[in-house]
Amino acid sequence: MRELLVDAVFVANWALLAHVALFHLVTVLLVLAGARRVWRNRHWRGVEGHDETFASPLTPAVSILVPAHDEEAGILDTLSAVLGQKYPAFEAVLVDDGSTDRTFDLVAERYALREVTPRPTADLPVDGEVLSVHRATTGDPLTVIRKTSVGRRSDALNAALNHARHPLVCMVDGDSLLETEALLQVSRPFVEDPDNVVASGGVIRAANGSLTDRGTLLEPRLSRRWVVRVQVLEYLRSFLLGRTGWADAHALLIISGAFGLFRRDVVLEVGGLDPLSLAEDAELVVTIQEHLRRNRRPHRVVFVPQTVCWTEVPESWQVLGRQRKRWSHGLGQLLWKHRRMIGNPRFGPIGMLALPFFLLFELLGPVVELVGLAAVATSLVLGLVQPAVAGAVLVLAVALGVLLSATAIAVEEVSYHRYGRGRDLLSLMGAAVVEHLWFRWAHSWYRLRGLVAALTRRTPVWTAMPRVGFAADPPSDRLVPVRP
Amino acid sequence: MTLLPGPVVLTSTAVTGLVVLLLLSVGGVHVARRRRERRNAARRAELTPLVYTLLDGTETVQSLADAPAVLDDVVLHLLPQLRGNDRQVLRDVLVARGVVDRAAADLSARAPWRRGRAAMLLGATGSTRHTHDLVTLLEDRSPDVRSAAARAIGKAGDVGAVPHLLASLTSARHLPSGIVGMALLDLGTPALPALRTALETGSARARALSAGLLGLHGDVPATPALTAALEDDASPAEVRRAAAAALGRIGAPQAGTALSRVAVLGGDPALRQAAAEALGRIGDPDCIPALVAGMAAADLRVRTTCADALAAITPEGRDRLRTLATSDGPAAGAAVAALDAVSPFRPLAVAR
Repeated sequence: MRELLVDAVFVANWALLAHVALFHLVTVLLVLAGARRVWRNRHWRGVEGHDETFASPLTPAVSILVPAHDEEAGILDTLSAVLGQKYPAFEAVLVDDGSTDRTFDLVAERYALREVTPRPTADLPVDGEVLSVHRATTGDPLTVIRKTSVGRRSDALNAALNHARHPLVCMVDGDSLLETEALLQVSRPFVEDPDNVVASGGVIRAANGSLTDRGTLLEPRLSRRWVVRVQVLEYLRSFLLGRTGWADAHALLIISGAFGLFRRDVVLEVGGLDPLSLAEDAELVVTIQEHLRRNRRPHRVVFVPQTVCWTEVPESWQVLGRQRKRWSHGLGQLLWKHRRMIGNPRFGPIGMLALPFFLLFELLGPVVELVGLAAVATSLVLGLVQPAVAGAVLVLAVALGVLLSATAIAVEEVSYHRYGRGRDLLSLMGAAVVEHLWFRWAHSWYRLRGLVAALTRRTPVWTAMPRVGFAADPPSDRLVPVRP
Repeated sequence: MTLLPGPVVLTSTAVTGLVVLLLLSVGGVHVARRRRERRNAARRAELTPLVYTLLDGTETVQSLADAPAVLDDVVLHLLPQLRGNDRQVLRDVLVARGVVDRAAADLSARAPWRRGRAAMLLGATGSTRHTHDLVTLLEDRSPDVRSAAARAIGKAGDVGAVPHLLASLTSARHLPSGIVGMALLDLGTPALPALRTALETGSARARALSAGLLGLHGDVPATPALTAALEDDASPAEVRRAAAAALGRIGAPQAGTALSRVAVLGGDPALRQAAAEALGRIGDPDCIPALVAGMAAADLRVRTTCADALAAITPEGRDRLRTLATSDGPAAGAAVAALDAVSPFRPLAVAR
């Protein structure tokens, strides 16, 4: 019996080691590719031609879709940022998805909404009932759709797609702040290559703790909470390096739901957003690429590392846990739905690189990590591994993780330097270490729960994140950091 | 497993050292950049008034020949905002300081970003002296450089480059149509004859792009060629769609018959939509029957566009919509919504 246990532990230890080594190897390659791209882009700064894009009659009009459920804390700031975009032609379509708070009332008051006859431009199936459609009478290009909620963001977005009028659609979360030129930057690939580009995404950053004023982010700052700081670092790693690297490999799987631009005709062609998916943003990107590859149509999914959308990230463990569980559950759904693409050369780098990576490291990663941790503990108890060996391997794993974070911080500082205060940089460096003390393990636990939910085919439940908002009370006291 | 510690400890030490080095570099870069930014801001504040005195004629170009390099940034920032003599003065500053010659030399630099930035700079100066070199860069191995070269050609304003720009749409190292389109638009109306020729004899991509640009220019002489492209069933769909949109932009009533036929009989919903939209822009009441017929289409987008087009034809189109709004069938909803859209402050104006 002991021999059997020893063999099992031995295999588990080596499997863990191989998993960690392979993960870090792939990640380092991705980071290097991403850093290379960001470094190259740095040389082109100032000559991207944003002014020409703004002035060009070839720039396509955009419908900005904003699903909102109980977003009273920040919806006016979000809309201010959306409607304040420097872009030649756009409209905003806000969907009040069964809010139980004052979301609609606040918008109705600010923009003097009037009810109008619904004017659908598409007929995607929507489960919630569309109650009414309103238009701003303040001169702002704003349409508001009120509908009953079925607890799914995708349903609200499909309702918005049915009323969008322009050839490009931009999906923005109800708790996000777009920088003034964000739309211009993220639409540039569509302007330059309208025949091939089907989707484009930008960088999302955490707004918590930053100075804002009426939908404008004045000065990026870090929150005092470590749970937020670590997420800031996560976002930097993921957006500045990870997604840039994946995009360079033509294997970009995710364009964040918080800020993504798509060709509307292609989205309608694939039937809109999957109504049952919990990762509807990634699901849409994969579905589009699968559809276009099956039909042998040329296409490009682009990532623009300069573009910035600021969003609220969870400030409590409870909310973070719910969010990460949902993401993992959604990833499980996505990989199951598109299982025929995994390892299938017909789907190019998406099938051969991105989907296997997400299966092995993102979805199954927490299983390997937690089983591996148990195996190491058992090895120590049984005396199979010396504490020094286990300690050395652990230190190496942590050092590699910190190296990746440090690279992200370096790229941020050298290329974008959004954090002007030295103390924010120091906090980020601290977060790179702190992350491995507890955040990583808690994160693995949440992801594991999401995986279990996906495996047991639990009914997807989209839970809204409690919002803090971008402005403090009272409203007259603007120019204040987002709490805390 | 017991064999691991040596290499693992070594690797850990190396990685930790790398992390420390990286973080120290980040701190150093942060401090150095803050200082540099402050210094450059001070220099800009000092130099900008000098540039204005130069534009006023109180200073000479030579007086700025030895100014710090940040002056070039100030001049390049101002250059696209100026026209005429002021622009020429700033161009002379760049020539006198050797910036233009350095950029010309950089067109063959090894780093793509150097070639690209050099091309952009030469384009910004508005000089056609380097058009040949820029045309050569349209075949550069780097897509970014090709794009920069196309944009620079547009800024420089040499219409002789139009055939090269159109050819770059289909060459082995091709350029996206948006880039070429923006460059051709920058060249302005002198490019129109070449675009008319391309509409008739070019590749499918060149024809579609030319049609679109002719429409944006509102080029009336192109109407017959655009109508022919629209009516030619053998033409690629993208060319026919672009031709329909262009005819609408030109506002050519003589194309009404062809557009009406496509709006009613065109198989591709996107083409029917483009034709209906064009009819709305033209606003000819003779086209109302075709638009009314289009409102019976199975495709929701076609119905909606036909309704919007009718709403744009006043008063006959709107009268017809009011009749349709009270009828039964799929056209009624689109008619009500279209009427509502043109009466934003009197919503639900048409009671069914």
